[in-house]
Amino acid sequence: MNTLTTIDELGFAPALQEEMLEDTTSDHALLEATRTGNQDAFAELVSRYRNQITSYIYRMTNDYDGAVDLAQETFVRVYRAADRYQRSYAFSTYIYRIATNLAISELRKRKRRKLVSLTGFFQATDGGEAKELNPPDGRPLQDSELVDTERRNAVQRAISTLPEKYRAPLILRDVDGRSYDEIAKILETSEGTVKSRISRARGFLREKMRAYL
Amino acid sequence: MRKNNCELTRRELDELMLDETCSSAAVEHLRECAACREFHQTQTKLRQMVGGLGTVAAPPDFVFRLRARLAGESNSASFHYWPLARRGLAVAAVLIVLATGIVVVRNIMNQPQEVITANSVVPQPAPRPVESPVESPKPTAVNPEEFSAAVPANSPQRIKNQRPAQIAPKNRRPVATMDFSFDRADVINGSVAASTAFPIDASLQSLKVSLDDGRGNARTISVPAISFGSQRVLQGGNQFAPKGVW
Repeated sequence: MNTLTTIDELGFAPALQEEMLEDTTSDHALLEATRTGNQDAFAELVSRYRNQITSYIYRMTNDYDGAVDLAQETFVRVYRAADRYQRSYAFSTYIYRIATNLAISELRKRKRRKLVSLTGFFQATDGGEAKELNPPDGRPLQDSELVDTERRNAVQRAISTLPEKYRAPLILRDVDGRSYDEIAKILETSEGTVKSRISRARGFLREKMRAYL
Repeated sequence: MRKNNCELTRRELDELMLDETCSSAAVEHLRECAACREFHQTQTKLRQMVGGLGTVAAPPDFVFRLRARLAGESNSASFHYWPLARRGLAVAAVLIVLATGIVVVRNIMNQPQEVITANSVVPQPAPRPVESPVESPKPTAVNPEEFSAAVPANSPQRIKNQRPAQIAPKNRRPVATMDFSFDRADVINGSVAASTAFPIDASLQSLKVSLDDGRGNARTISVPAISFGSQRVLQGGNQFAPKGVW
């Protein structure tokens, strides 16, 4: 009795072979394998999304260590809820939704505790718009790398002052480059709302970053 | 009309990705409108800056820490419902404390009532007609208030005794009295040795009764010896002996 060792031995047409390989390595297939106890499949999912999720949460919270913890919590929830996962959405939409909920929850906790970021901004005490602690230095820097670093920091600080309902769609669109449709699914809202919020977020940013534009 | 074109063009530019090309109408409008051209340049620069933030990499030990976390959670799976169990234990502890408190409070509330009950239980003998040739002083149940009457009005002892009963100490004991006035006297038979039945010198001793008034104060009643003349009991039990013979 011969044992098939490779997919080539099955004798499928090349296009079909490609489709099957694609299917076995898709996010859905990996999560399905995770459900059956395949730890390697889950490790593959983690390696695919760990940087994206960590980066997204970091842009949302402006706290790297906290972002790493929340990213891990995101994967733990994916692992725990693997049995209840439904394939109606893309896996990326699913995991980004979990990450968004965790990040927004963390931002609300911080707001309740009146935590102040030490990286440069004071939260307004009257619930209004946050005020900048260190206004951007208009003087030219010597090194172009320093200029870029300073500009990136300024952008990150400006994003972190945005209200959370504007922050998430802006990051998903302008940093991660996701489509309006996917953002709407992640945030569980309509495309029109997403477009409106992104437009307003850019308006806020333009005002804050006027010195750099 | 021009303002409407500006809004439409800016909305279109806003919705496009940076690498996407806008429509010919928008291009035409940008060529004519300086304000929209400046808006487009500013917006493009801003989006390039935001997009230039890039992706922050996860730490190298991310997978290791995640595995450790998952392993730790699976090991403590039996304690998955610990928060619920902890709430249940807290509720049970509160109930136990409440029950104990209720019992203690009830005991405290019942304690003064027992004192009152004990006071009321003190036997108050009904007056019985006593056919006694000698009018003996009628002993009554000893009342602490009656004791205070014998104390001078300005003495500290009296002031102390005039305290209201409500502030009496909790370990107040009921006043115990014994009234022997209505008890039947022992019958002395002639066969019994008189010296053992009734000491001949009993009347020579004064009677002393010590009572507790319930506040810890001892009251002593001293009754002087009462003499009815010669008190001798004849050995033979014959009370009609000839004169001069004892």
